[in-house]
Amino acid sequence: MRRLRQFAFFSTIATYILIFIGGLVRVSGAGLGCPDWPTCFGRWIPPTSLDQLPSDIDPSQFNIALAWIEYSNRLCGIIVGLLIATTAVLALMYARHRIKIWFPAVLAGLLTAFQGWQGSVVVSSVLEPVVVTVHTVIALIIVSLLIWVTQQSYYEEHSAIEMPKLPSATVKWMTILWSLSIVQVILGTQVRQAYEVVVHQFPMLHPTQWVGKVGGLNHVHMTIGIVVAVYAWYVGQAILKGSKGITPLLRQSIIGIMVAVGIQIILGLTFIFVGLSPLTQVFHLWVASIIIGLSLVIFTASKRAYQTGSR
Amino acid sequence: MKWIIISVGIAISLGILAMLVLVQAEHSKADIPVLGQLSDFTLTERSGESFTRDNLIGKLTVVDFIFTSCQGPCPIMGTTMAELYQQFEGTSRIQFLSISVDPERDSLETLREYATSLGVTDNRWLFTRGPLDSITQLCEGQFMLAAENLPGGHTTKFILVDDQAQIRRYYTSLDEKSIRALKRDLKLLVDKIK
Repeated sequence: MRRLRQFAFFSTIATYILIFIGGLVRVSGAGLGCPDWPTCFGRWIPPTSLDQLPSDIDPSQFNIALAWIEYSNRLCGIIVGLLIATTAVLALMYARHRIKIWFPAVLAGLLTAFQGWQGSVVVSSVLEPVVVTVHTVIALIIVSLLIWVTQQSYYEEHSAIEMPKLPSATVKWMTILWSLSIVQVILGTQVRQAYEVVVHQFPMLHPTQWVGKVGGLNHVHMTIGIVVAVYAWYVGQAILKGSKGITPLLRQSIIGIMVAVGIQIILGLTFIFVGLSPLTQVFHLWVASIIIGLSLVIFTASKRAYQTGSR
Repeated sequence: MKWIIISVGIAISLGILAMLVLVQAEHSKADIPVLGQLSDFTLTERSGESFTRDNLIGKLTVVDFIFTSCQGPCPIMGTTMAELYQQFEGTSRIQFLSISVDPERDSLETLREYATSLGVTDNRWLFTRGPLDSITQLCEGQFMLAAENLPGGHTTKFILVDDQAQIRRYYTSLDEKSIRALKRDLKLLVDKIK
């Protein structure tokens, strides 16, 4: 069980790094750095010079930096895929009597395999917005499943551990926060798509003017963002004040969420006043994925506290 | 305290990694190779004035080869070029140059009417003609594009020429992705000739 927990934990961290790299690929414009899949310009290792290109490929398509950025994403994807597959196998080996552990672990493994294939659709669809959004949401579901498996295997390993007393509504609060954050990520990807259309239509404007022209969708995203931030602060305070015997992990997760929503608001403000910079975009999505992960950590702990009757 | 240091450390490390990757990506996109140097040529613009290589100096120019009675790809090329003409109206450092491959039918008067039909109101988009053998030589010899069976067999490429009359890149005028790349390249290069 200990090995399962360790693998699930490493898989979670690795998936978070992969989500970051995936975001980086998107904003650096390297999504089509390799125009084919799974090979890159017809090779298993991308070309390093023009003379290595197959004759049927237009040389103007080749950009060595973008090809290698996309290729790194694929390599990391393979490593993470192997880690998650191992987690699923270990879950079947050590936790086959616990459906709430092996099922999410196997589901994460299957979704990862699907995600690998879906990555090919991302390339073949020439970065169709819906396909890219699905790719992002699946990554967030995979990381949520892994967090659940890590925590559940920890509780299985330490069945006698005393759970803190948490406010009765914690499970509900975290379900709402997790769902709202997923909705925000989906909306955010749509805002980004609308932004790209604006850049396409008005190439000579300043970046802040581009953001201003995105319109209604952006306002919805900002409004929900502020609601999520206020809500996260409210429930965070309520849990911190209304709990007894709170564990360091839970306290850090709650403070982590409160800090993360603050960072999101600051990043959102920079988008309005400075314009969408690629670096801040990567962090905006990544911090959102951390909020999703941390709200699941608190959700799982509070569910456990409820089941063991320590509320 | 320990976890705060670890979190900040991870965020800074990822930030530095991201910065390096993004700088490299931007640098690579801005690196548009010089594909050729245009030498002297003379065309006649719809206004009746001559248009030579000197008119390319100091501006970015998007060039295409068309003929006004073309029913094939030309209407789409014209619409796309008209969009670019409108979208880049904020700068006089970008101009558009359409070269007729059908000088027999495309008189200066026809070119003026064609320009008006596309909503062209100023000299940021120029419509030119010249003797067919000169046009063929210009297309094949200088722009390195096929010019067989003119006018029907003309190229559908857009060509980006920089402020030093150098060919920088070719674009497929009928492909939206390629046109996006053209806009990106125009924006990148225009900032350099401010």
